[in-house]
Amino acid sequence: MNKRIIVNIVSVLVSIFVTFLLTSILILLIGKNPIDIFVMMFSEVLGSGYGIGQTLFKATPLIICGTGIAFCFHASLFNIGAEGQLNAGAFVMSLVALKLGALPLVIALPASLLAGFIISALVGYVPAIIKIKKGVSEVITTIMLNFVIIALVNYFLIEFLAVKSTVRTEKISDSLMLPQLSDYFNSFQGSSANLSIIFALALAVFFYFVIYKTKLGYKIRALGYNETASKYLGIRTNALTIFSFMLGAGLTSFAGMNFIMGYKGYYELGFSNNIGFTAIAVALLAKNNPLGIILSSLLFGFLDFGGLAVNTEIPKEIMLVVQALVILSIISINKLTEKYLNKQKI
Amino acid sequence: MDLFGSILSVAFFAQVLRLFTPYYLGASAANFSERSGVVNIAIEGFMISAAFSFALFSIVFGNPFAGMFFALIIGILLSLLFALFTIKLKVNQIIAGVGFNLLMAGASKFLIVLIFKSSSNTSRFESFYQIPLLKDIPVIGNISGDYIILFSFALVFIGNHILFKTRFGLRLRSAGENPAAGESLGVNVRLYKLYGVLICGFLASLGGIWLASNQNTYSDGMIAGRGFIAIAAMIIGKWKPVNIFFACIMFAFFEALEILLQVSMPDFPTQIIQMLPYFITILVLIGFIGKTKPPAADGISY
Repeated sequence: MNKRIIVNIVSVLVSIFVTFLLTSILILLIGKNPIDIFVMMFSEVLGSGYGIGQTLFKATPLIICGTGIAFCFHASLFNIGAEGQLNAGAFVMSLVALKLGALPLVIALPASLLAGFIISALVGYVPAIIKIKKGVSEVITTIMLNFVIIALVNYFLIEFLAVKSTVRTEKISDSLMLPQLSDYFNSFQGSSANLSIIFALALAVFFYFVIYKTKLGYKIRALGYNETASKYLGIRTNALTIFSFMLGAGLTSFAGMNFIMGYKGYYELGFSNNIGFTAIAVALLAKNNPLGIILSSLLFGFLDFGGLAVNTEIPKEIMLVVQALVILSIISINKLTEKYLNKQKI
Repeated sequence: MDLFGSILSVAFFAQVLRLFTPYYLGASAANFSERSGVVNIAIEGFMISAAFSFALFSIVFGNPFAGMFFALIIGILLSLLFALFTIKLKVNQIIAGVGFNLLMAGASKFLIVLIFKSSSNTSRFESFYQIPLLKDIPVIGNISGDYIILFSFALVFIGNHILFKTRFGLRLRSAGENPAAGESLGVNVRLYKLYGVLICGFLASLGGIWLASNQNTYSDGMIAGRGFIAIAAMIIGKWKPVNIFFACIMFAFFEALEILLQVSMPDFPTQIIQMLPYFITILVLIGFIGKTKPPAADGISY
């Protein structure tokens, strides 16, 4: 392992430590003992199959969405629009699944996933083409698109497709529901963890290879690192920008699978609960490495469910603060590490 | 009910002018920051944090002016922290913005539950006393009697004057357009970026304070994306205070229309109106409606 990787790992660990430290101070200020809280959290979450199952369940969409965002980030595309992309995709995914319920699983499931993927990818196409044709930063367009897309989904759902006086679609056929982990391992009983986690893990591993071990991944990283240079290397940068944006955005749609096919059986307004933004933090913490994203998603899943576990002692919303602290400490410590590295000339 | 009649009424016009206030404060906030070259997409977060702390301290001290004082102090401290990240450490400004938005939204959700034992809102409080005499003017009394609304109108001229007619404004803009050139002429670029970020925190906080004072309470989600609409208004207004004024009036008109339609035509899909500001912004960015160009060194650390 070269020194840079070690420094990277150390900086991630330091940021996690700093976050824990700040969180402890916060808990102290409230007049609780942070050690008690952490012990309670760890024992509640990791002490039971249910707790572990829920952590996996919460981590699943983050792994998927984080991988999609990381793919864009590698191409230096600041995709802040995952929240809109994944909602559009998940919504259409549920509609197609609803329509194809009668067909065999092997056709209906891939067809609905594909439909969701295409829609999310198309949403990703918009900022990509605007960036190429008009030179407008994707940051602003994706932020604006988030609101447009969510309002549109809201409109079509409520006006035409929702079950009366709810904000959700009808339930898809039971034959399309994914098996629960508790079907295989009894100890996960009661948790919502389902086969989507296997899909998410496979997706992350696959894209680890795509990004770091293939020619395509090399081109994308080259584009992200230096667009001008990659143009002179003969890389078709515009086409690659569109491709990366669409693929990354498309991937985010699969986050809907965990909720729709794995849990509730329908698309519901607000199901994403800011996954699209949390996944940015997840990708950053992992330095856009999909294998690292698995770990950072598990950490965030742990925090998410851990908040519920300590809710009797401290409002679970503290975990929202902790997640923000993770982002702020990782970006600041990254910068300090960079300065250190530059001084050391490694 | 005659929809056009309602739209043409004085009451509707007054409503537009009231709703204009938080948009204009937020958009001016974003503008001062971006003019100095720092992109701050955490306007939403700053508004949330100020609205919440204004409510909190108004309740604690039983006085809205004390509430405003402390909310502004907190807003300025938070923007100092934002400056530390973006100007001193030079982290990516967008990511810092995402982090600050999450932090301030999360912290207010957390503190509401912790302090008020409610998942949605603080208790109610007395809002500002209106300005004597001015508040008694018929029809427009609730505009002319409101300190913050009057300030936001004045800000159109003050902001324009500061940015384009003063030495301070010139130096601030040089930090956003060409920091190296500014520095070679002796401008302390980072200091001016700090000014930009601090003014931003102050104005965005004032916008949040107005929203909470208008409702006499803070409720979770009450900012409802206005911080992002403010950024949209800044873009459509081409980073110019007077143009931003018209963009904000337009968005305030949409919001007033939405409120009116909810009453007069309950079946009308208001989502379509809700997405208009964002949709129009994209059209403007593409160049369908006029051309718009950010400060040349906007978002680049220096």
